[in-house]
Amino acid sequence: MSDFKMKDIAWAKINEDVLASLESPRKAFWIVLAVCFALVLCGAAAEVYQYNEGLGVALMNNPHYWQTYISNFVFWIGMSHSGTLLSAILLLTQADWRKPIYRFAEAMTFFSIATAAIFPVIHIGRVWDMYWVLPYPNQHAIWPNFRSPLLWDAFAITTYATSSALFLYIGMIPDLAICRDKAKGWRKKLYTAMSLGWMGRATEWIAFQKTYVLMACFLVPLAVSVHSIVASDFAMSMMPGWHVTSFPPYFVAGALYSGCAAIITLFVLLRYLFKFEAYMTPEIMDKTARLTFAIAMAWNFLNLSEYASIWYSHDMFEHEMLIDKFTGPYAGIVWTMLFCATIVPFAMAWKKVRVNMWAMFVISLLIQLGMWLERFQIVSPPLASNHEPWTQAVVWPGLVQMTITAASFGWFTMLFLIFCKVFPSVSMYEVKEMVYHRNKHGKKKLQDMEKIKDDMIKTEEGLS
Amino acid sequence: MRRIRKKHFLFATYDDFEKAKDVVGQLNALDEKEDIIDNIELYSPIEHPEVNAMLGEFHQPIQRFSFFGGITGTVLGFLFAAAVGQSMFTVQPQGGKSVITIPPDIVIAYEMTILLGVLSTIAAFLIYSGLPRRVKSYYDHSVGVDQIGVEVETHPDNNEKIRATLEGCGAVEVRELTS
Repeated sequence: MSDFKMKDIAWAKINEDVLASLESPRKAFWIVLAVCFALVLCGAAAEVYQYNEGLGVALMNNPHYWQTYISNFVFWIGMSHSGTLLSAILLLTQADWRKPIYRFAEAMTFFSIATAAIFPVIHIGRVWDMYWVLPYPNQHAIWPNFRSPLLWDAFAITTYATSSALFLYIGMIPDLAICRDKAKGWRKKLYTAMSLGWMGRATEWIAFQKTYVLMACFLVPLAVSVHSIVASDFAMSMMPGWHVTSFPPYFVAGALYSGCAAIITLFVLLRYLFKFEAYMTPEIMDKTARLTFAIAMAWNFLNLSEYASIWYSHDMFEHEMLIDKFTGPYAGIVWTMLFCATIVPFAMAWKKVRVNMWAMFVISLLIQLGMWLERFQIVSPPLASNHEPWTQAVVWPGLVQMTITAASFGWFTMLFLIFCKVFPSVSMYEVKEMVYHRNKHGKKKLQDMEKIKDDMIKTEEGLS
Repeated sequence: MRRIRKKHFLFATYDDFEKAKDVVGQLNALDEKEDIIDNIELYSPIEHPEVNAMLGEFHQPIQRFSFFGGITGTVLGFLFAAAVGQSMFTVQPQGGKSVITIPPDIVIAYEMTILLGVLSTIAAFLIYSGLPRRVKSYYDHSVGVDQIGVEVETHPDNNEKIRATLEGCGAVEVRELTS
């Protein structure tokens, strides 16, 4: 093997390591999978109970017709943003450190959407009428409102789920071909069908690269639009606490923030479970943490501007709502959110923390807790103190809602881990590209430095 | 009955892009001088624009598909929203609002623009990459690992000259193939 390819990892070794992850993860993988499966079973039982008894068992009643299920929907949609959006942005800006981590980030996007998509179904209670939320033509007298953000959601989420799944799949084709060449049994059949006969020909590579970049160009504005539309579900209503102009950018920043935190959590988890220490390095964690920190600051700014614009708006209802958030029955939620999502990220200002895997794991979990609470405090408190005082009531989510919420985390993690067990979660060809270009540029840099050194020696000799 | 001529290939593998670049350059020069090569195909574990450029120009206007797909999506988005909104306007109370409402329809058209743009980009990818296809029987798995494969389509009479060129540039292995 010639030296240009590798200083640290040989190309064949990259294939070996990633393919090994499909065969033999640590025992902890099966434990985590079993816990997730148990959570999903609990959630399924809760949903069956709710289905039979009605939404009352979830304590959903006027005025709390939107509660944890919608918070979860917004949370999971938000989580889905970072994967594809960051992958696309970092691809377009040619940041090569994305290469070992983008595949699982994109998978995270897809499974987050799959999790989010369940919640409108659970939320409406009458699951058999689920198709009413779809853009069903009016000839059928269902009358979906095409002017409502709820219907735009159907368009936006369908487009986002389709595009993200295709972006993930197209990016995987060269790796699926590698898997096809090594696999046996059912895996061989699966990879053969999915790799479409890829052989790494020049025509294939050129078409592939063009397609991948073009898809990234479509996905960046799409990701921004999807969460803006989700924000419009609230912002276009007349409810105090929801009717906020800055919600779309605030939601997008929040989505990126929670998504980045999720990437960090999964980074540490995969690194441990699949023994990816050589690929998911502290340097990459450092860069991801820096990015998360920057997004955290943007989110904090938007959060503060939301409070400031309400405070100075002199709208009596909005004003009361803001005061109630910080001092009322939901104050604990708001203050915990501020601690987790505003104070905790400052720990990432220190490099020692940024390169410490387990410290980052804990920080990322706290940030996600903060961001889940952020969604909850957007959805629930405004309903508790709405325009009509006779309907005002503080209602906390009951056991059914919390079980289904916990199950959603189990569902997401279970799907994600199964994906990582069946498909390569580190992109082999992109890591090879990264190694190749780094070594090539490193070599060129060395040659340039030697040339400068020679020139200096010659100049010195000439002077003497 | 028309006979189908069997294609004859020489397939060489290299462990270095520089060697692959050299051999493609030399094969091009040989073909220019003696016109004995029908086609050169490169197989590699990663994309290498420099070597690909030496194989000639690849006409793959994928972006045109993206553009026209996007435009079609916009038009269809507006048409869909308008058709659905207008379909029952005689019985649906509009409350003074217009039957076809442009601002909310923009959102639907925007999403449809992206959806059809992405789908047509994928269609273009499949067209120009020639996928899906059957993997060639002589496909060498090592090009998915760390080798660069150079496949030369030629007449069997020219075997020696081409083999010499392939081996002269440091081929790890040279195989003769017929399909």
